[in-house]
Amino acid sequence: MNEKSIHKDAEHFISISEKEGIETVWNRLKSQEPHCGYCELGLSCRNCAMGPCRIDPFGDGPQKGVCGASRDTIVARNLLLTISAGAAAHSDHGRDILETFYETSNEKTSGYMIKDVEKLKKLAIEFGINVNDRNDGDIARELGAKLMEEFGTKQKRLTLLDRSPKKRQEIWERLNIVPRGIDRENVESLHRIHMGVDNDYLNLLLHSLRTSLSDGWGGSMIATELSDILFGRPEPLVSSVNIGVLKENEVNIALHGHNPILSDVIVQAAEDPELIKIAKEKGAKGINLVGICCTGNELLMRKGVPMVGNHLMQELVIMSGVLDAMIVDYQCIMPSVVDVAKCFHTKIISTFDKAKFEGAEHISFDKSRGIEIGKKIVRLAVENFENRIPGKVDIPDKPVEMMAGFSVESILELLGGSLDPLVDAIKIGKIRGVAADVGCNNPKIKHDYGHTYITKCLIENDILVLVTGCAAVANGKIGYMNMDAVKYAGKGLKEVCESLKIPPVLHVGSCVDNSRLLVLVSAIANNLGVDISDLPVVGTAPEWYSQKAVSIATYFVASGVDVVLGIPPAIFGSQKVVDVLTNGLKDLVKATFSVEPSPDKAARLIQKKIEDKRMLLGLSYREIG
Amino acid sequence: MKSVIIIPDRCIGCKQCEIACSVEHSKSKNIYSSVFETPKSAPRIFVLPGDHSCFSFPNKCRHCDPAPCLMICPTGAIYKDSSIILVDPTRCIGCRMCAMVCPFYVIRYRESPDIVERYVATKCDGCIDRIKKGNIPACVETCKTGAILFDDLNKILKEKGLNFAKKVFLVQKEGKKIDVLQEKNCYNMLQELKEKLYRTMVVEDE
Repeated sequence: MNEKSIHKDAEHFISISEKEGIETVWNRLKSQEPHCGYCELGLSCRNCAMGPCRIDPFGDGPQKGVCGASRDTIVARNLLLTISAGAAAHSDHGRDILETFYETSNEKTSGYMIKDVEKLKKLAIEFGINVNDRNDGDIARELGAKLMEEFGTKQKRLTLLDRSPKKRQEIWERLNIVPRGIDRENVESLHRIHMGVDNDYLNLLLHSLRTSLSDGWGGSMIATELSDILFGRPEPLVSSVNIGVLKENEVNIALHGHNPILSDVIVQAAEDPELIKIAKEKGAKGINLVGICCTGNELLMRKGVPMVGNHLMQELVIMSGVLDAMIVDYQCIMPSVVDVAKCFHTKIISTFDKAKFEGAEHISFDKSRGIEIGKKIVRLAVENFENRIPGKVDIPDKPVEMMAGFSVESILELLGGSLDPLVDAIKIGKIRGVAADVGCNNPKIKHDYGHTYITKCLIENDILVLVTGCAAVANGKIGYMNMDAVKYAGKGLKEVCESLKIPPVLHVGSCVDNSRLLVLVSAIANNLGVDISDLPVVGTAPEWYSQKAVSIATYFVASGVDVVLGIPPAIFGSQKVVDVLTNGLKDLVKATFSVEPSPDKAARLIQKKIEDKRMLLGLSYREIG
Repeated sequence: MKSVIIIPDRCIGCKQCEIACSVEHSKSKNIYSSVFETPKSAPRIFVLPGDHSCFSFPNKCRHCDPAPCLMICPTGAIYKDSSIILVDPTRCIGCRMCAMVCPFYVIRYRESPDIVERYVATKCDGCIDRIKKGNIPACVETCKTGAILFDDLNKILKEKGLNFAKKVFLVQKEGKKIDVLQEKNCYNMLQELKEKLYRTMVVEDE
């Protein structure tokens, strides 16, 4: 069987799309194949007008670009560009939240407030701000201004790096890769990529690490912290997932993209009695919000809004015929959703001026009129309810229960206020270690197969799995994220899950919330008095596709966490770059990348890495065959 | 006599031969202006995926002798000029007979710059104009990996044979297993990973 997805709902819609000639990501992948080998190897360079150049991987053709750049320079430069694009995406997202936070502290926004004062104060203290006898607005204003400096040039080092273990900070200092300003590292990346600047592949790779660190410990971490302060800190909750969360008799609105500053306001707007009244007049029973991708994860984590799907579901969910509007902000939104929507009644509404879609209706979002614009957008969806095409209603599955909301704070709370119970469980081996399954979907691998196969192998072997982004939806949808899933866990992990009343796979949040994982592993390392790289912790992105995923993987590695990738990145044109990333980094940052496309082998590799780390810590060790 | 020879394991699927072919057969023979021409030029060489996307193969007219397409053409539109099989678009009636008998599926039906509003058999012309000026075919010129060569066939085969012989003795001498069919390099490394990825779509699914 050559199926494209492990899920019933996806397979159902893919077969309909094939029958009806609705073009999807899988058709487009097919028509792009074979892919250009130069590009796949990272051996093409189109940075300047003396080129474009490509290096012959076989060795008979050109071995240098017109400027003289070697294969190693070209591959490293291309990788730095990829990482910078990913880091920039996360960090610009962080900046949008920061601006909203700052404007909110000045009472210049509508629809936002400081929800988590405790977290505000905690963060302010980390930035050396006096929190005693001051009102929240004052603290927020000063914090906002300080955080803006994190993006700029004034700083010598990002403040939140202090959360990491001292040993880790020393490594960064020794390698001279301490990120200074968030924007600065990205701009410097673009500078280094320019012809005749950085031509040394190792120097380029080191700046790749620094740029990714400015994402993980900077842009992403600020995005997470401020989102928690503005929208509330996630607490464990139960919600549901898959196509079945759509309701035939309600107005269905899908929120797709990444930034909660829009989607959170939409949630408030959808509760407006007047809009609900209009919905009822149109014959709907109410307004039903569902999430796709990370903006969905943000809402799921904090408000329990159900998830209709992940990255590769975005075209297919429209085919349900009951999606009255898809509201998009930015990142990972395929331009093709507009084309699929043309075959149905679904309205695609774009909202950010930096992310427009040809053929979509654009409503420019402005945080100073948040609620007003939110209502305008929801109204469009409500009014579109009556345009449904009766014969096209198709909801082919029932929802699956899924838990979410495991922020670091809520995990601590579950543990009774201290990490000790978790650390003890790892020490005695009930939990062998922790794996983070993160990242995207990619049509090059069967939809959600990599995520779920690896997760199943890991929890069976007593490895606690933390998930974010599309990986979370994959695992939720197959049923690994509810209490029933405890039965899949190994004996030790099962015991821990049952006593804490948690599933063996914990939803930690969106992709910027991978920064929560940095905070968690730092806290565990500090608890044990070791470096992050000493911990039995591994990250994996079996189905990654985006530049953001490369940035995440790189800041994991630079922070001391081994990462196993399923899709080969465009680095294989340079043996030297491959050697550094898969081996040489061990000496530099004590963690490396691996590429293992087979989920079965990847799962065993992760297990082995965890057991090896246990052995080095002097903990009980299991042989992995 | 030189001719175009394909070395499939050298093809990395970049499709630059397709682009060079399109430009060569456009009116302006210039990449920037050719994309705005009507009718739009199209390639006569096709880089196709193998059994799955890990492999690619540049497929084009082999200029057979005897050529089935030439023999079956009822209007005499297909003819031979210094061992290259050519189509005269003014004589082609678009009957598809040549396409039916072509063992390599390399004939397409398109408007040509000379004949518009009528679809005529279009295929590789061996870049005969370039050859007559002493140049090599466009696809050969653009291919930087040596997947499309222009040389004396027997000469190339002799060189390949010599290489093979060397490897056979390397196996004996060094006593280790060497893949005599494929050179080891970074592209093979990527291919192996891609194959593994592809297998996750079919095999691991028990």
